Amino acid sequence: MADMPIPLEVRDITKRFGDTEVLKGLSLKAHKGDVITLIGASGSGKSTFLRCMNLLEQPNEGELIVHGENIAFKTTRHGREPVDWKQVERIRAKLSMVFQSFNLWAHMTLLENVIEAPIHVLGKSKREAIAHARDLLDRVGLLDHADYYPAQMSGGQQQRGAIARALAMDPEVMLFDEPTSALDPELVGDVLKVMRDLAEEGRTMIVVTHEMSFARDVSSQVIYLHQGMVEEVGPPKEVLDNPQSDRLKQFLAPKH
Amino acid sequence: MIDLQGYGPRLLEGALVTVEVALLSLLLALILGLLTASAKLSRHWLFHRIATLYTTLIRGVPDLVLMMLLFFGGQIGVNMFTDWLYYEFDVDIFININEFIAGVVTIGFIFGAYMGETFRGAFLAVENGQIEAGRAYGMSNRLIFRRIQFPQMMRHALPGLGNNWMVLLKTTALVSVIGLSDMVRIAAEATKATHEPFLFMIPVAIIYLLIASVSEWTVARLQKHYNVGFGEADEWNN
Repeated sequence: MADMPIPLEVRDITKRFGDTEVLKGLSLKAHKGDVITLIGASGSGKSTFLRCMNLLEQPNEGELIVHGENIAFKTTRHGREPVDWKQVERIRAKLSMVFQSFNLWAHMTLLENVIEAPIHVLGKSKREAIAHARDLLDRVGLLDHADYYPAQMSGGQQQRGAIARALAMDPEVMLFDEPTSALDPELVGDVLKVMRDLAEEGRTMIVVTHEMSFARDVSSQVIYLHQGMVEEVGPPKEVLDNPQSDRLKQFLAPKH
Repeated sequence: MIDLQGYGPRLLEGALVTVEVALLSLLLALILGLLTASAKLSRHWLFHRIATLYTTLIRGVPDLVLMMLLFFGGQIGVNMFTDWLYYEFDVDIFININEFIAGVVTIGFIFGAYMGETFRGAFLAVENGQIEAGRAYGMSNRLIFRRIQFPQMMRHALPGLGNNWMVLLKTTALVSVIGLSDMVRIAAEATKATHEPFLFMIPVAIIYLLIASVSEWTVARLQKHYNVGFGEADEWNN
């Protein structure tokens, strides 16, 4: 087991939008079963950092290693970009992402959403994909909604459906980009419960969130970002219960 | 029964020509339109420049002028080319620009520009998150286009496409100018011979209307098809 490549490692990622440097050299290592939560004020770069991990944003510098595979970059007139997009597609298929605004495909039913990438990206048979999808929908409590379109479901249901879609890829790592931020308060609980279950069964997860109780209970590591830099990092007991910097203390203080 | 004075069968043949020209031009226009929209949305400046030149040119010059330029000008060009082949390589061929093909190409070219604008707007109307989700799941650009962008884009494009098609259908009447025997030309000939304009032009108008009605029905069905998942919320709440 010691020789198993770790699911995801990023080293010294920097990202600039125009003249603004939003990520100033961020690194992270996710071992199997790790739940890493990224916290920080809006504008701290946490979502951008997450989006660099599956290359929805192209980092200006830094390395990205997924399951031992190093992504090759080259510099062109348009900036730095991956050498081989096929490699990127292969790697993205191993890192499924759950978005803040769900982004279920609107013209497909929930079941069609869940089987889409397993069939067309992983090359699974339709029958196999459907069987797997139904299991997953059952897990997130949406089996009876399989034939609904996203527009017919509540935000919480859509997000749980989106998690089923992510699970259908059998991902190495799951990336969650503020999965509960767009939800009505009463719908947040169901989604968090599904995520807690996933953490318990040993899924490797990287979660950008504002849910401090989730971060405290579930994560193996908390990273507090401030202006594109890591301000504090460690197990939740240290970072959340015993913050060192004034900024983090202020960030964690109950808001009125 | 109305007596079409022996022109009935020819009028029907002409109607068939009209339909053929219209459908083939539509096909060409749709392909050119998709290419134009892709070029305009591409980040390569050259594609962008060419597509913009194309739409500006087409939209700025009357259809009739374009058609005559292509038909007569094209023949001159082809003749120059075959002459050159003859003198340089001793190859003796003669290519006659067929009025049917010239008609289809011209109309397809004209409407390709309009379709391009319709498609471009429709592509821009697809939410970025839908495409991003495709990327995040390892889909290639091609797969994203086929499975996500195209079906969602069509919902926005169909009203415009339907409109363009109606105008295209009526523009086929112009092919009579370059000598193609579509139903307008045959009706015009019949009118000249018999001095009875209403006898021939009213059936022609009715046939156009019939084609237009079938088209509207088809567009409505397509619209229903591409609206799946979007109209649902309303149905649900009622």
